[in-house]
Amino acid sequence: MAVANYIPETLDEALLLRKAEGAIPLAGGTDIMVQNKRGIGLDPILDRPVMIIAGLKELKGITLHEDGSVEIGALTTAGEIASSLVVPWHVRMAASGMGAVALRNSATIGGNIGNASPKGDLPQPLILLDAEVVLISFGGERRMLLDDFIKGSKKTDLRSDELIKSVIIPPHDFTYSYYRKIGMRKANAISKLSLSAAAVVKDGLVVDFRASSGAAGPKVIRSREAESMIIRRSIEDIPEIVPDFLDAWDRAISPHAMPKYRRNTTARMLTRFLEAIVNEEDHGIIE
Amino acid sequence: MYKEIEFRVNGNKVLYSGNPLRRLVDVLREELGLIGVKEGCGEGECGACSIIKDGKLVTSCIIPVGACIGSEILTIEGIRDTEKGKCIVDAFRDGGAVQCGFCIPGMVMAAYALLQSNPTPTEHDVRVAISGNICRCTGYDLIVESIMLAASRGGELWQ
Repeated sequence: MAVANYIPETLDEALLLRKAEGAIPLAGGTDIMVQNKRGIGLDPILDRPVMIIAGLKELKGITLHEDGSVEIGALTTAGEIASSLVVPWHVRMAASGMGAVALRNSATIGGNIGNASPKGDLPQPLILLDAEVVLISFGGERRMLLDDFIKGSKKTDLRSDELIKSVIIPPHDFTYSYYRKIGMRKANAISKLSLSAAAVVKDGLVVDFRASSGAAGPKVIRSREAESMIIRRSIEDIPEIVPDFLDAWDRAISPHAMPKYRRNTTARMLTRFLEAIVNEEDHGIIE
Repeated sequence: MYKEIEFRVNGNKVLYSGNPLRRLVDVLREELGLIGVKEGCGEGECGACSIIKDGKLVTSCIIPVGACIGSEILTIEGIRDTEKGKCIVDAFRDGGAVQCGFCIPGMVMAAYALLQSNPTPTEHDVRVAISGNICRCTGYDLIVESIMLAASRGGELWQ
């Protein structure tokens, strides 16, 4: 029957519970409470103990480090991220498009990553930016690329004695940035498809180019193979590379439902972004 | 480890020692009798159960009570007779914002949260602020106008 549920007072207590019982961490509750709801007046029941870590101050807040990287504590909410002045644009865009006001006041970055839904809003821009996760246990901390941490739909590399401590986003200075989330409504919409892209152009040369696709496969997809086709190429060469680039990106994504729509729309978004680079449009955000 | 959950609801101290996963909406409605808090979808999508927790609008159907330690909770009952609460409720009445009424406590809480942080909202600001609150009667326009009315009538009240 029902297992015990806990409210640790400190990070140490939470780590002890992770180690001793593999307790499931509940941050904002916006996934766990919905996935396990049983109806009016009934408490959610899970097959393992749950620990409510919403109050742990050690895991909250946004820090701008001296090297320009931004560290976001796992329990920082989408609302706090959306209104931050230091969080990179792509991530703020994704955070401000999550659910609606009340959800953004509860949902956390750690929860969004830990839940590892391919439709999750935050992993997509974070993976674009080569963000790393910091994982903590009694044994210490380890750091890895978020792209490696999320292994597939609902699968992560989190050990049963670990918690997500924070996310670190390295500094970037993009010439062009693009973000688009396609949902059924303006608010309270789960992503049907999303795309982030960014490029650095110097003296007619594409120095950096990257993109990430959300809701287009079992996890967020970045194709280094496709990206490398554009990087270190002159912008005059890009038009002739575009068809091969789009083919490579198309091979990398694997949308399960409405694949034709998702593939076509992904290609259209990438085409739009590349067109802005080729046309040397005003630097900044591409729409 | 916390054994008891102590928080405040509408200014009154509450001590809860049951299952920390119990939904806040159930504690508010069933233990505390605050039935102005409505439950619609039960999954944070409709906004009927919206309340204010530590100054922020949240949906109480997906918040476990164990996440409320030390929190200040405000429900419709807690603001209804305050000057700000009356300003919104009167504007809703005068603006014809209410039909069946089920979504209204949540709408009022969303309006309250908005005006607390943004005393002079644009129509767009209002629509974003209530974008998580579903109303199946009105088509929203009269609710939006009523919130704008509360902002203009309230004036200094919201500053």
